Amino acid sequence: MNSLLSRAPFALVPIMLIAPAAWAQSGAPDSAYFAAKVYPILEAAQCRACHTHDGVASGTRLHFPEKDSGQNAIQIFGLSLAPLVDRSDAAKSALLNKPTMRIPHTGGERIKPGSDEDKILTEWVKYLASATEESLTTARRRLGDTTTGPKPTQLVRRLTHSQYDNTVRDLLGDFSRPARKFPSEDFVDGFKNQLRMQGMPPLLVENYSATAEKLAQNAFRNGDVNGLIPCKPVSATDIKCRDQFVRTFGMRAFRRPLRDSEFRRYSAAFTAQARATGKFNEGARAVVEAMLQSPKFLFHVEAGPDGRYSDYEIASRLSYLLWDTMPDKALFDAASSGELRTPEQREKLARSMLDNPRAHEALDEFFNEWLRLDKLPNAIKERRRFPEFTPELAASMVEETRKLLQHLVWNNKNFMEALTADYGFLTSDLAALYKVPAPTGQFEMTMFPESSRRAGLLGQGSFLTATSGPAETSATFRGLFVREQLLCQHVPPPPAGVNTTLPDPTESKPRTRTQLLQAHVENPSCASCHRLMDPIGFGLEGFDAIGRYREKESIFISAATDNARAQPKRIDLPLDAKGEIAGIPNSAFTDAKQLGRILAESPVCQECVARQMFRYGYGRLETAADQETVHQLFVRFRDSGFRFQELLIALVRSPEFLRGLDPKDRVTQTIRNDVNSKQPGGR
Amino acid sequence: MQLSRRRFLKGVGMYGAMARVGLPPLVAMFNSNGTAYAAAAGKGPAAASPIETRFLLWFNGNGIPERYWIPTETGPDYELTPCLAPLKSVREHVHVISGVDNAGARINGQGNGHFTALCGLMTGCFYTGRGAAGPSIDQLLAAKIGAKSRFRSLQIGVAQESHGENVHRNMSWAGYDRALPPEMIPQNLFDRLFGVKNQSWVGRKKSVLDLVKDDVADLQPALGSADKQRLDEHLTSVRDLERAIASLPPDYGKKIKEPEDITDLTDYPKIAKIQSDLVVHAFASGQTRVATYMLTKCQSLTRFPWLGLAGNRHHDYSHSNAGSPSSQRIMRDICRWHTEEFAYLLERMRAVPEGAGTLLDNTIAMSSHEHAEANSHKCRGMAILLAGGGGKMKTGAHTKSHNTIGDIYKTITEEIFKVDVNFPTAEEKMSEVV
Repeated sequence: MNSLLSRAPFALVPIMLIAPAAWAQSGAPDSAYFAAKVYPILEAAQCRACHTHDGVASGTRLHFPEKDSGQNAIQIFGLSLAPLVDRSDAAKSALLNKPTMRIPHTGGERIKPGSDEDKILTEWVKYLASATEESLTTARRRLGDTTTGPKPTQLVRRLTHSQYDNTVRDLLGDFSRPARKFPSEDFVDGFKNQLRMQGMPPLLVENYSATAEKLAQNAFRNGDVNGLIPCKPVSATDIKCRDQFVRTFGMRAFRRPLRDSEFRRYSAAFTAQARATGKFNEGARAVVEAMLQSPKFLFHVEAGPDGRYSDYEIASRLSYLLWDTMPDKALFDAASSGELRTPEQREKLARSMLDNPRAHEALDEFFNEWLRLDKLPNAIKERRRFPEFTPELAASMVEETRKLLQHLVWNNKNFMEALTADYGFLTSDLAALYKVPAPTGQFEMTMFPESSRRAGLLGQGSFLTATSGPAETSATFRGLFVREQLLCQHVPPPPAGVNTTLPDPTESKPRTRTQLLQAHVENPSCASCHRLMDPIGFGLEGFDAIGRYREKESIFISAATDNARAQPKRIDLPLDAKGEIAGIPNSAFTDAKQLGRILAESPVCQECVARQMFRYGYGRLETAADQETVHQLFVRFRDSGFRFQELLIALVRSPEFLRGLDPKDRVTQTIRNDVNSKQPGGR
Repeated sequence: MQLSRRRFLKGVGMYGAMARVGLPPLVAMFNSNGTAYAAAAGKGPAAASPIETRFLLWFNGNGIPERYWIPTETGPDYELTPCLAPLKSVREHVHVISGVDNAGARINGQGNGHFTALCGLMTGCFYTGRGAAGPSIDQLLAAKIGAKSRFRSLQIGVAQESHGENVHRNMSWAGYDRALPPEMIPQNLFDRLFGVKNQSWVGRKKSVLDLVKDDVADLQPALGSADKQRLDEHLTSVRDLERAIASLPPDYGKKIKEPEDITDLTDYPKIAKIQSDLVVHAFASGQTRVATYMLTKCQSLTRFPWLGLAGNRHHDYSHSNAGSPSSQRIMRDICRWHTEEFAYLLERMRAVPEGAGTLLDNTIAMSSHEHAEANSHKCRGMAILLAGGGGKMKTGAHTKSHNTIGDIYKTITEEIFKVDVNFPTAEEKMSEVV
């Protein structure tokens, strides 16, 4: 049994020994044969560990269907393998020769050449080579091949904490950002805004309630200072003014006109409270307090129960995606006149929205989360070795990264330059760290010298520091970051119960980090995954744990004494930074500049930018069924010369942007507890 | 009636020595029969019931240095190890159990050795890639015994620093992937428990929540089932909130003065003590019977300036040169601090008289780390502390065991709380425990 993920349950799937009836009768394999005999072999060989749409082998043509797919889906999958077969000479097929390592395979030998499994696979390859394309297409249709699988059924998103804060700012004129005291939003699937984890636990609901109470109280504490009441009430129970208030405020709080039943209920509550207290504003306060904790405020359900106001929901989607806050008057107007229905209409409005500074702020949050810039403020480095690493330096590292990305996005540059830029936005401290001439002002654009080994994000302190430990670099974390953040490839976690500790170097056996990490390669259970990560980091070993360039690696041997104050002994070892990205041909590199160029030119990396924006923008991980959508986003992004604003435009033009507004989307199947779902990050 | 709790909380506010000067008599919170405060409030059938046992589960992120933590001797005469030294004053109330198996951590799933350990420990389930795959022990128990309390359960936290994933930050789980976040800001916790309210507040709040429920009902039929589940969750939480409002004791809010605003949210020894005081009050005043207390996060990145450790974060220490004598001593000091804070809670509970004994006698408090030996992410041979129980549970000794965490939960829930929760990794009850 191979070692990769040997704890996974599918490793135990027994090889079927009974030929399916269909084959027995006709004498030739068909798709039922594939499902019964070939598929279990491929699962046992754990091809799936890499070959999924977000696996390490996402760039190849082999993507497994969802793990507990039905028989039909498996048979369709078997038929869809035809492009991996050489029709002129079946024995030369990649489908046969890769898993058996007859030709180089990044995943190693998964099936023993000459084994029974090999023979069964060969039968299938022969069948695919001999079948006509037409017959394969017919067979796939017969099995019901319409899409590549179901899309997630959960559609309704909740305001994120920053959306909440921005919304109450624009709705009430309250700048206190109260959501900062809510239970924090946690990372799931790489971002903090993923809808499937937007729960409503009691503590959060209590926070919503208590905050609504405070906000409503503050709104009317000194009279109606922010002009929420559009009229002058003549008495506490002034019906006319009450109605005006409930309609105008309700429209803005629920981001669509109130329905009659809502209007009646809120008006009645208004009057009850105003009458009980003898104060008009107390009625208004109760309405504000209730609306701010209503699901119609907290969730994006602007279309309303009957879908009547879907134009308003489109306006909100635009607004929260591009501005991270509620729509303004222009957007509400566009919604009320039905001007957001076509992709062209949405594009036109989105372009004008991108000119608003709110769009810049909103996109910054995407960058923060995608690149995990939150790790920097809490990063810690050994003071003795890195005296220059201060909280201020960490903060400028984050700002440097943001400045580069903002520069590319808002000046309409090629966004892939994020990986190749031969310039940076530096402070004098960063310039000193990078050993480049000091900029004329803080965060001024500074050109790197021709000889610099640094370019783009991968040469920046933020990445190099956050992926290192307090003293040492981590080739593994750097490689993992490239895989998950930049290639959108999920690397399986280490098997449960494995001791992941590396041996410490000793004075008699001094070792560089690269040499220590060879332990990963020597141990086959580590090697299968680590060879996907570590070699990427090896090529970046020229940059130390805070991103300084180095020719030698200094290692420190703790004195073998009980005296904690004893100084460790320093040994300088020569470095030979050489890296490669397993699975990307000709990807050898020796520094950040070369790695950046390889990635910037890789379609997998280019598409990954679109994928990450899909995940953040739509609030969910893409599934196999979303591949076409992702591809369309990518194509538009690529064809624009990688202008990031065009990617955002593609997002609002996409049919996916409107999902859930058609009642057909609201399927009533029970949510499947997706046990085998993947998670980027999470280490 | 003296304003005892006000004085008490003021003392806490001033921190340190004051907070340790002994608890003012809380007898005032009890009626003449010695039954608890909530009972005195006269709400429904609880009024006549005797003092009920509470459950508190305490979690410390990362593992332990076994050599400084686990006693060598077993039985009542074991010598307190450096990490357990703070238990000196309460040792007769504590059962040290080593050798325990976190079997749930070995169930197939996603995630690194921290995620699987936390999920196994709390839920006996695997890590889904996003969270735990089932409800945690406190929620299983709260579902059985929490219904009459003002809060079905409380989740309380102290230190914030973590890698930021969902599973790092939450120890309580309502169900598959449903985290229950802890309240980490003392002021907020105080407001939930003792914030001043009056009758007009109650009236407005109720009518406001009625509007919210109407809006939920409005939306329900229009949504697909996955979204409906989320809305159901909202509704359940709104109902919990209504219950918390409806079961306000009549003299609620009149006696307690709130703690000072914490300006330094990284002063964890101070925050831990205030949070502990508030849990003690929540238990004593009958507001809840079940609480979890997350002192530090899973795979914790806490820093410890008060221990003189200005360098690394907790998780860094646990893996950098971890076998060296100096690293082991650092881990010893960190874990001793964990025990110190847990011992503080036990002392405060013991200082609250309740019936013929103390609040500690009527509480089962359990403390665990994420792993046994920290560096190797060891999940077999865990060491836990089981405290309180006032004679219903065996205490005052060290026992080596080979049972699972689930067996301990099973023993406690069935023998002491008299309910059956079916924890996934439970197999048998342990005569060593009760």
